[in-house]
Amino acid sequence: MKEKVLEVLQSEYPEIDFLASEELVDDGILDSLTLTGIIAALSMEFDITIPYEEIIEENFNSVDGMAAMVERLS
Amino acid sequence: MKGILEKHYMTFISGIFFIFILAVTVLYFLFPLKYRWFVLFLASLVFYLSWGYETLPVVLACVILVYAAARRMETIYSRQDEQLKNEAMDAQQKKQRKLRAKKRCRTILSVTALLLIVILVYSKVGDVMLAGISRLTQGGMPRWLKVVVPLGISYYTFSMLSYLADVYWRKEKAEHNFLKFLLFVLFFPKILQGPISRHKTLAPQLNEGHAFDYTQFCFGLQLALWGYFKKLVIADRLSVFVDTVFTNCYEEKSSLIFVIAAMFGSIQLYCDFSGCMDMARGICQMLGIDLEKNFDHPFFARSAAEFWRRWHITLGTWFKDYVYMPLVISPKLMKLAQKAKKKFGSRAAKNVMAVIPLACVWVLTGLWHGTGPNYIAWGIYWGILIICSNIFAPEIKKITDFLKIDTKARSWHIFQMARTFLLFSFGRLLTMPGHLRTTWDILKKIAQKFDVWILFDQSLYNYGLNQKNFNLAMTGIFVLWCVSMLQEKGSVREMIARNNVVIRWGIYLIAFFSVIVFGMWGAGYSNTGFTYMNY
Repeated sequence: MKEKVLEVLQSEYPEIDFLASEELVDDGILDSLTLTGIIAALSMEFDITIPYEEIIEENFNSVDGMAAMVERLS
Repeated sequence: MKGILEKHYMTFISGIFFIFILAVTVLYFLFPLKYRWFVLFLASLVFYLSWGYETLPVVLACVILVYAAARRMETIYSRQDEQLKNEAMDAQQKKQRKLRAKKRCRTILSVTALLLIVILVYSKVGDVMLAGISRLTQGGMPRWLKVVVPLGISYYTFSMLSYLADVYWRKEKAEHNFLKFLLFVLFFPKILQGPISRHKTLAPQLNEGHAFDYTQFCFGLQLALWGYFKKLVIADRLSVFVDTVFTNCYEEKSSLIFVIAAMFGSIQLYCDFSGCMDMARGICQMLGIDLEKNFDHPFFARSAAEFWRRWHITLGTWFKDYVYMPLVISPKLMKLAQKAKKKFGSRAAKNVMAVIPLACVWVLTGLWHGTGPNYIAWGIYWGILIICSNIFAPEIKKITDFLKIDTKARSWHIFQMARTFLLFSFGRLLTMPGHLRTTWDILKKIAQKFDVWILFDQSLYNYGLNQKNFNLAMTGIFVLWCVSMLQEKGSVREMIARNNVVIRWGIYLIAFFSVIVFGMWGAGYSNTGFTYMNY
């Protein structure tokens, strides 16, 4: 799942190194607009609905966090 | 009676406040740790009541409503958890049970939030509504019927809405002690102008007693002093100039004076608002409480979006968390984005997901600042700037690449900062004159004739500030710039603390006497208010 998620992220935002940090949100690498794009991409690509309760830093701080969330919601 | 009460209106710069904060600090550290929250509660009540008794029932009603709603939601969720744990249910039944609980909580959240918003909107437009009704009934409105605007209504309403939403989303637990919840709402350092505090961040700090810490106390005092410098030496001095220019816009004036006044107006607003925040954070730090940061040198921002991540941070994050993100994940928007992706590709889908929530956020941000058409225009102006910079980011990158601009160069950074400042100042031109028509007339005047001679013929000293005060304002801005540059590199207070006692105390005394001697105190100047206090 991690590889799939990383592939989607890299195709949407090739300029961002998603593996550079384990705190992508807290380090300011992902701002709210980028997060919007990521939510859209993950929702459409994996056909999931991300509820508001899941929009927390831990779920978007790393590729592992995002993969775990997608797996949970699939 | 009204006259007596008016004399005791407390803000951070009224004389009585200095006695008040001295008493609060002494009492806070004298009380046992366990009961120190009660000192803060009493202090907040006294501070609030200094503004009069008539608004307290409105605030209390709102606080009781929110307190009860949060408790009720928590009870529903607890019962659901118990049932899910104890009863033998299959997955479908469990899902149904969860949905039922969620639906009940959503009803409670919606009704309570709606009531809070109605009260907030009424406090903002009530006067206009009542005037309209009075005209229709030809003055038939009872005299006692007037709009009551509680102090800090926008700030505490937003704080309570976020608390309710977080309890609904189970991101935090409901407060059980009513007085502690009331303290969170009325906490005196934040009631005047915010920040829009989150319950889960601030409440635990208020409820837990803090031991006296000499370093924190001194750092807090220094931060508050810096806030007083920004407010009294710079903001209140510049506001005389800005008010004089914009009070009668149709007087025979040079067009450049409006440009200068708009730029001064930006610095004045920053010093006024961030100065108040420094005072609030400083006072809290003295007591061992870490209040949220509301400003992070916004004029160093390189883009409009970055500016709003640095200016009024708690309002921006509030809108992001409780308007923008819920809209982003709404199923309707997701469907729209999917359609856009199928027809126009993934870039269009991303744009749909960003543009619609951003447009909603910026119209609401404009309305939060004021209900007149000029504030809505101001919100749309910022919305368009941010949306366009987002949508056209790839094209902007192509242009900078084509022009071979080194986007990491210092000169480019300075250009971007100057651009942000000018964009903000233009935005101020939309709101400061009071009417969009006046703004339009000023813009026409600026476009027709741009007379730079006023910079050299001393006519700048004819707008409320004589040469001495004008130069003082300029010196203040220079000091602000230097300190801000240092703050970007690290904590200025820690830098000062590393020096020997003579230099350290030299700086403290210069700062203290600068505020005393150069602050706009005394008769003739209205230094009792803050610009953002009436929101």
